[in-house]
Amino acid sequence: FAGPHSFTGEDCSELHVHGGPAVVGGVLQALGRLPGLRPADPGEFTKRAFQAGKLGLTEVEGLGDLIHAETEAQRRQALRQMEGELGQLYQRWSEELTKALAHVEAFIDFSEDDNLEEGVLARVAAAVQTLEEEVRGHLQDGRRGERLRGGVHVVIAGPTNAGKSSLLNLLCQRPAAIVSPVAGTTRDVVESALNIGGYPVVLSDTAGLRETQDAVEREGVSRARDRLQRADVVLAVLAAVDVAPEPGCLADALRAVLPPGALAGRAPCILVLNKADLLEEGRGGALLGACGEGALSPVCLLSCKTGEGVASLLSLLGAQLEQMCGDPLTGSPSLTQARHRLHLTSCLGSLGRYHGYKSLDLVLAAEELRLARRHLGKITGRVSAEEILDIVFRDFCVGK
Amino acid sequence: MSCNPSFGGIGKGHLMREVDALDGLCARICDQSGVHYKVLNRCKGPAVWGLRAQIDRKLYKENMQKEILNTPLLTVHEASVEDLLLMEPEPDRPGKCQVSGVILGDGSRVHAGSVILTTGTFLRGMVFIGLKIHPAGRLGDQPSIGLAQTLEKLGFAVGRLKTGTPPRLAKDSIDFSVLERHTADNPPVPFSFLSEAVWIKPEDQLSCYRTLTNGKVERIIHDNLHLNNHVRETTRGPRYCPSLESKVLRFPNRIHQLWLEPEGLDSNVIYPQGMSMTLPPELQEQVIACIHGLEKAKMVQPGYGVQYDFLDPRQLSTSLESRLVQRLFFAGQINGTTGYEEAAAQGVIAGINAGLRVSGKPPFIISRTEGYVGVLIDDLTTLGTNEPYRMFTSRVEFRMSLRPDNADSRLTLRGFEEAGCVSQQRYAQTSRMKAALEEAIAVLKSLQFTATKWSRLVPEAPISTSRSSLASALDILQYTEVTMELLARAIPEPLRKFADWRELAERLKIEAVYEWHVANQQQEIEEVRRDEALKLPENLDYFAIDASLSQEVREKLDSNRPQTIGAVSRIPGITPAAIVNLLRFVKTNQQRTEHLKHSRIGRPLPEGNTFGKSTFQNSSLSCAS
Repeated sequence: FAGPHSFTGEDCSELHVHGGPAVVGGVLQALGRLPGLRPADPGEFTKRAFQAGKLGLTEVEGLGDLIHAETEAQRRQALRQMEGELGQLYQRWSEELTKALAHVEAFIDFSEDDNLEEGVLARVAAAVQTLEEEVRGHLQDGRRGERLRGGVHVVIAGPTNAGKSSLLNLLCQRPAAIVSPVAGTTRDVVESALNIGGYPVVLSDTAGLRETQDAVEREGVSRARDRLQRADVVLAVLAAVDVAPEPGCLADALRAVLPPGALAGRAPCILVLNKADLLEEGRGGALLGACGEGALSPVCLLSCKTGEGVASLLSLLGAQLEQMCGDPLTGSPSLTQARHRLHLTSCLGSLGRYHGYKSLDLVLAAEELRLARRHLGKITGRVSAEEILDIVFRDFCVGK
Repeated sequence: MSCNPSFGGIGKGHLMREVDALDGLCARICDQSGVHYKVLNRCKGPAVWGLRAQIDRKLYKENMQKEILNTPLLTVHEASVEDLLLMEPEPDRPGKCQVSGVILGDGSRVHAGSVILTTGTFLRGMVFIGLKIHPAGRLGDQPSIGLAQTLEKLGFAVGRLKTGTPPRLAKDSIDFSVLERHTADNPPVPFSFLSEAVWIKPEDQLSCYRTLTNGKVERIIHDNLHLNNHVRETTRGPRYCPSLESKVLRFPNRIHQLWLEPEGLDSNVIYPQGMSMTLPPELQEQVIACIHGLEKAKMVQPGYGVQYDFLDPRQLSTSLESRLVQRLFFAGQINGTTGYEEAAAQGVIAGINAGLRVSGKPPFIISRTEGYVGVLIDDLTTLGTNEPYRMFTSRVEFRMSLRPDNADSRLTLRGFEEAGCVSQQRYAQTSRMKAALEEAIAVLKSLQFTATKWSRLVPEAPISTSRSSLASALDILQYTEVTMELLARAIPEPLRKFADWRELAERLKIEAVYEWHVANQQQEIEEVRRDEALKLPENLDYFAIDASLSQEVREKLDSNRPQTIGAVSRIPGITPAAIVNLLRFVKTNQQRTEHLKHSRIGRPLPEGNTFGKSTFQNSSLSCAS
């Protein structure tokens, strides 16, 4: 929408996208990576429109109430999110960053003639670095909210004829995949969306992993490996009858499915021993014992044919999902999550630049901390100059 | 100078530069009266360099009086002011009455189109030494009580603050030979843009000395808290200029620094900075005697505390005119600030606006984006204060662009054109410098070469040759190792003439360091300016307006009385929705100006009003615009 006929009077662009929050979140993230783009503050569009003379008084009034309602809802939502572990984490970062900034400000405003202790800046540098590592780590593995929206990718993998497709059908309670006694029946990835313990899951059945001359099957195996790379959780299925109840033997069988490096991240793996119904009496216990001995857990012994042990797999999987996604009862974090990610990413960028500037010009370095603080403040709330000074006077005996 | 014998410092030096840029006096007088000049924060980036100097009290007073008494058209009258002359307010403006002059101690009257009150610590001042308390604005000076009562009766919200001053020592009784000596800068850097150099020869400057407190000092203070009224009181004192007592109480078991500062070239008085205390005099002597180097020091005057009234500065508009009484301006400690520099900064603004008000012109406001003065006044008038307010660079959002080196380009031209407070000479000098800076920066930007070529031209610069894009000379000047001189040696034409102008070359170097960052911040600065342009009416009734504002927000708005949407956004706890709601009440600048043009001087109040008899007199200063 070319200005001046747009809502704000400036050049505007609107993106109309498909789908649910996952798509919107993804688009927002992509936009956030463009230099110079940032999420608008609440009420910002209205204010700009007003400044450009595009809004009459009644329109402003209506929008004021609308924003009030929106921000109130956002506040409640943010609060819900903040009450948990995540909120405490952000709050702690906020306090640490504020303190680091206050100490740099103290060093600028007071160090000379005042006996500010030695090593203030060294401590700040260390604190900034720790914070950087924590935020980076959080951004890397904190995809909880996104998983919750897009679904957790659970990949079933294993050798041919272990019963992977049977497991898929059993878990989604419909014949989604073709099953047959012929090894190598599944050649492509079969996906099914389901809900396990309240968590959205995308379950994928993959081709049995084996060396093969068949070109189609080879492509299937390659797709299986590719899917494994992107898995959030792996269900490694082995036929219980094919493995000996010895830790070394079990570990080898597992390694054949998941050679070291098969998984890009550290996707957790649940070992599923299928075909329990075919086992001799006592053999099952021996297998589980050997798994425990070889630290090959979590493990689940089940039979796709009789359905025995499926409940315990579901509860293992549910626990895993809860650990990865948090408690779904706190509600979908929706778009705030994407915003948080943008602000944290910007915060991280500023923290990184602090180190470069600090030996060059402390004012520039402090500016990066101020920026980092402001980005974080978009999540945890703004910190005023007065609050910074409070920390300065609390931590240092300054002034002559 | 009634307290410390020094001017400037970090943040405070910034204010002095701005006062000077508006042709205020203190910077120039300090250049004629200093005995020890020192730039603080030299190693921290030019945006926070703090110009500071020890000043000879006697010289400062002499030079200041000479300057003031020789100012054309200025009549100076020394007397105590006891009351205000008041009359009916101008209609269509907030205010219950307007001031038309003052009543002096002898009952005589001085009529004026506007009045500025700068009462310092004299408003119901009380001096504290040990358990003794007596009314005084300063040791040996009477406090101002009649005026304080008048202001209270008029309905001004009054608060109480405290401050203190250290004992003074006889120079010839101190053993400086055992103390750490701190010498002044050579060459000294002047405060004023007009001064090429300070008056004193660098080698004639005096030194300062440092000594330290110890456990004995701490013990005496602890053992005698019951003899110390000032410290026990709950009145808020400054946290950054604490008394020795509060340092010891808040940070026990620590060693604190004390600076021995000369009071003047031929003065035998030493000002022990950091030793402000209010113990009974004999105990102060005990404290002094247990400090290294001061064992035999003679105390020539005890330290003491002062408590005084201040008026909630949220009752002022950003021109420093009060909303309650039209044409009455306040500046300095009466507004809750501390320090000569903060006072001078307000003094300049109040003075300019008192003059503009009489001549019916719009007020001269400095924004937060333009100067420390703007931050100071916006903080005071929007947020108020509950302790003596001092300037810090950390209060300033746009610290990278509001630097001591460029105060003239920020303020002088505006001061000349809009306020008429700047001399022709200064205006010409600033315009010349500004033009030269703009030209030089354009030239430096236009000189673009590859990294390889630059590292050949200026081998001193640590340029990464992997850099693929072209770099301009301004980019190269950012490097710590590079100066204009080096650049001029590499590219004499056209850079030589810029490098040879020493002051210009120094300023270019600073511009280069911050240029990129300042440009980056420009959008944010514009945002603040746009918000500051959205003015709210001064008499808006926040309790009555129909908008979805919570009671809490209404109360905050009512007590803070923000003048612009920008100020609203800085009040803690105000939501974006409240801001949008308030947009409805924004008046455009144009309406405001119209309004000013139509205002008239009011009629006198009827006889027998509460505030003393006043007569109407048409001010000699016309109100034609």
